[in-house]
Amino acid sequence: MADFTAEVFQNEFLPDGGTDVHAIVRVTSTGASTGTSSAASAGLADPGSAAEVILIDTSGSMGRRGVAAAGEAAKAALAEIVDGTLFSIVSGNGTAQIVYPYSHQGALVPMSAHTRGEASRAIDGLRANGGTAMGTWLSLARQIFETVPHVTKRHAILLTDGVNEGETSQSLQAAVQSCVGAFQCDCRGVGDQWRVDEVRGIASALLGTVDLIPAPEEMAAEFEAMMRTSMSRGVANSELRVWVPQGAELLFVKQVSPTLEDLTSRRTVVNPLTGAYPTGAWSDESRDYHVAVRLPARTLGQEQLAARVQFSLGGDPVAQALVKAKWSNDDSLTTRIDPAVAAYTGQAELATVIQEGLAAKAAGQDDVATSKLGRAVQLADQTGNDEMTSRLKKVVEIDDADTGTVRLKKGASKIDEMSLDTASTKTSRVRR
Amino acid sequence: MTDIPTAGAPQPAPVPAPGSLPSVTTAPAPPASRDCPACGTANPADSTFCEACGADLVVAARASDGAQPPADVSDGTVLASATPQTAPAGEESPLDVGWTGAVPSSATAPATDDLTCHACGQGRIVDGYCDHCGTPPPNPRDHLVDSPTAWVGGVCDIGRRHARNEDAMSLSATDPPGSRAVLVVCDGVSMATDSHIASLAAAKAARAVLDQPFPKGVGTPDSWASGAARALTSAVTRANEAVAASVVEDVPNPPSCTFAAAVVEDDVVVAGNVGDSRVYWLPDAADEPARQLGRDDSFAQEQMTAGVPRLEAETGPHAHSITRWLGKDAPEDLTPHLTTLTPTPGWLMVCSDGLWNYCSEAESLRTLLHDAAARLDDATPTTLAQALVDFANEQGGRDNITVALARLAGRGSSTTTTEATAAAAPVEGDPTDG
Repeated sequence: MADFTAEVFQNEFLPDGGTDVHAIVRVTSTGASTGTSSAASAGLADPGSAAEVILIDTSGSMGRRGVAAAGEAAKAALAEIVDGTLFSIVSGNGTAQIVYPYSHQGALVPMSAHTRGEASRAIDGLRANGGTAMGTWLSLARQIFETVPHVTKRHAILLTDGVNEGETSQSLQAAVQSCVGAFQCDCRGVGDQWRVDEVRGIASALLGTVDLIPAPEEMAAEFEAMMRTSMSRGVANSELRVWVPQGAELLFVKQVSPTLEDLTSRRTVVNPLTGAYPTGAWSDESRDYHVAVRLPARTLGQEQLAARVQFSLGGDPVAQALVKAKWSNDDSLTTRIDPAVAAYTGQAELATVIQEGLAAKAAGQDDVATSKLGRAVQLADQTGNDEMTSRLKKVVEIDDADTGTVRLKKGASKIDEMSLDTASTKTSRVRR
Repeated sequence: MTDIPTAGAPQPAPVPAPGSLPSVTTAPAPPASRDCPACGTANPADSTFCEACGADLVVAARASDGAQPPADVSDGTVLASATPQTAPAGEESPLDVGWTGAVPSSATAPATDDLTCHACGQGRIVDGYCDHCGTPPPNPRDHLVDSPTAWVGGVCDIGRRHARNEDAMSLSATDPPGSRAVLVVCDGVSMATDSHIASLAAAKAARAVLDQPFPKGVGTPDSWASGAARALTSAVTRANEAVAASVVEDVPNPPSCTFAAAVVEDDVVVAGNVGDSRVYWLPDAADEPARQLGRDDSFAQEQMTAGVPRLEAETGPHAHSITRWLGKDAPEDLTPHLTTLTPTPGWLMVCSDGLWNYCSEAESLRTLLHDAAARLDDATPTTLAQALVDFANEQGGRDNITVALARLAGRGSSTTTTEATAAAAPVEGDPTDG
């Protein structure tokens, strides 16, 4: 059986009158991977308990080369799907169609050598044509998953190359909302004609990742990796539960590692003091969450529990961490900021200023963009985030990283901007 | 605060004393109750968690048992390790699933019991905190008052700046004034791990030794004094073993503490200390000087010995670095600084540096005590100790504060002066180290 542990990193000491408690809670799973024998013995590896849907963009903009590459990518993903796993291939343009299984076989079929071969041949028949209405693709995927209500692990891969058109953004939003909780979806954009914020919205709501694939030829490797990751996840139906005391205010709950994801708005009520936040499926991995609580200040010397953070599977808590608050007038205790809290707070600000800077640049507000991206350069420099610095360098000329003095680079390529945008939410793990 | 000396402070090399490690020779009797090592509260013997502060008693019991197998299996029960959410066997508790928010006040739990939150009255204590308002139950260790008899009392207080009370106090006394009393104060070294557990273990272990009447020997004051000295030295050894046994594993910063004790037996006092907790003799008679019995093992003391004025030495950069302490990394020589005394009427005080930081001179302390006594309507040892603790807190309460007092009527007439006492006890006032 999978084991989960939760540990907390925080400075529990608050100054006189202090109210805000910040903590990083690290949840780590072992034995959750379907590849491990312990998981198999616990019945987690039953392939019939998982379903995969691959959504391929076949809009006209993909072109013959794009669709052929997407087909190869889909086949690479098929090769990773464990035999027995239910799967389906959907092609999407202005509408969505199930490419495989064939209509008489139902919406999903178990993977086998035979069905894998049939699916590959069906993929070969795909042609580029029509527009892009991702809402219809997602809605079809949801309907497909709804045919197997007993399957708890539901995952989709969405590939697109263009901007959503042919449906309003409201109808896309409505479609995404209808899919929340129904399945998880990793999204990939190929080329530079798609909108990062649009696709990120889908991935984020559906507990998935978003990334950029610069050229069609790189799709196969990406799909293979994505599907391998999905296949390794043996634990579904997990959630983070956060209790705060009567009178306290939960300021936010964010996943901060491996990627930044604000979970605050995804709260479902467990009881008046406790909210639950979905965390999707788990492999053997470790994720960090930033919890911030505002408490009514107590008198010096007093102590209280500020939050109880539990990780629960199917409603049963399996690990918990206690976030505490102690009021002290010892400055040496209260002024210290926990290194993990500081690092993730910095990384979250970095992501925000990058996204805001790029949005301002796209909107033609060059001075706003310059100041935001300058701050990003400064933050990346201060935290030694060399990877982000090198990505920023492709978009701005850095005059002085120390002060954040930059100039927007003339003729920065769109793909560099997009890759900076998608990379902004990937955080580097803070060691204890 | 008491610090282990840091680099730069002169110090004897702390040599581990293998011979002083605990060698448990007697199997402990089946305990009737299980005392919490963290807060001192007595819990039922089968408790797995302290009802007062939530500390894990099973781990603590294992630690104090050392490597021995569970000593008490006579009743067929072996203590199993438990998780904080586990209800007593056979009971379905809504707390079994961890916390589920406020527990409905239905038949599952009595309306009020030990687990009901004292702060809000609505939640229950789960994992040491209320599941409604988050408040922990009051830790009895934070403020401890003990009045074993009318003439002996003490207060041990967390102070205002520290998050934990690492001072410990253990008192005992028999009723007839001046007959017998034991006052032990241990101050945990705040830079070490779990020193609050170490100091309490040390204080209790020392008191257990000192509660035994001293051997009378041939009945002379000299033979009594040597017997008392042996008992105090033995108390330090036991206390040191208790500190070493309070850690389960090898920690980089093993717990340690100071030691100060005074024993009154038939109106004669013997005092001893290791570290910078102090015993003071504060006589009523203004013409008899008030003084500290023994001396500190501290960098400040070494400076004073070298001629640096007290105020300067005690406020210097390493003033609180102690040169001897109890613990796994204690120096080899733990012989206490011993003093015997046949007192005139006055007050015997054992205290931690949480008090004397604000009033170090014995004469000033006597004035402080007399002023407090004059203000109080009911000046008992306990109310006076509380008044001195209040004083230290008003000065800032930078450290944990412990004050234990014994009121001594003195042997013979209240007007007896030093000649009389000197005649009664030749060694009086002289440190009898070794």
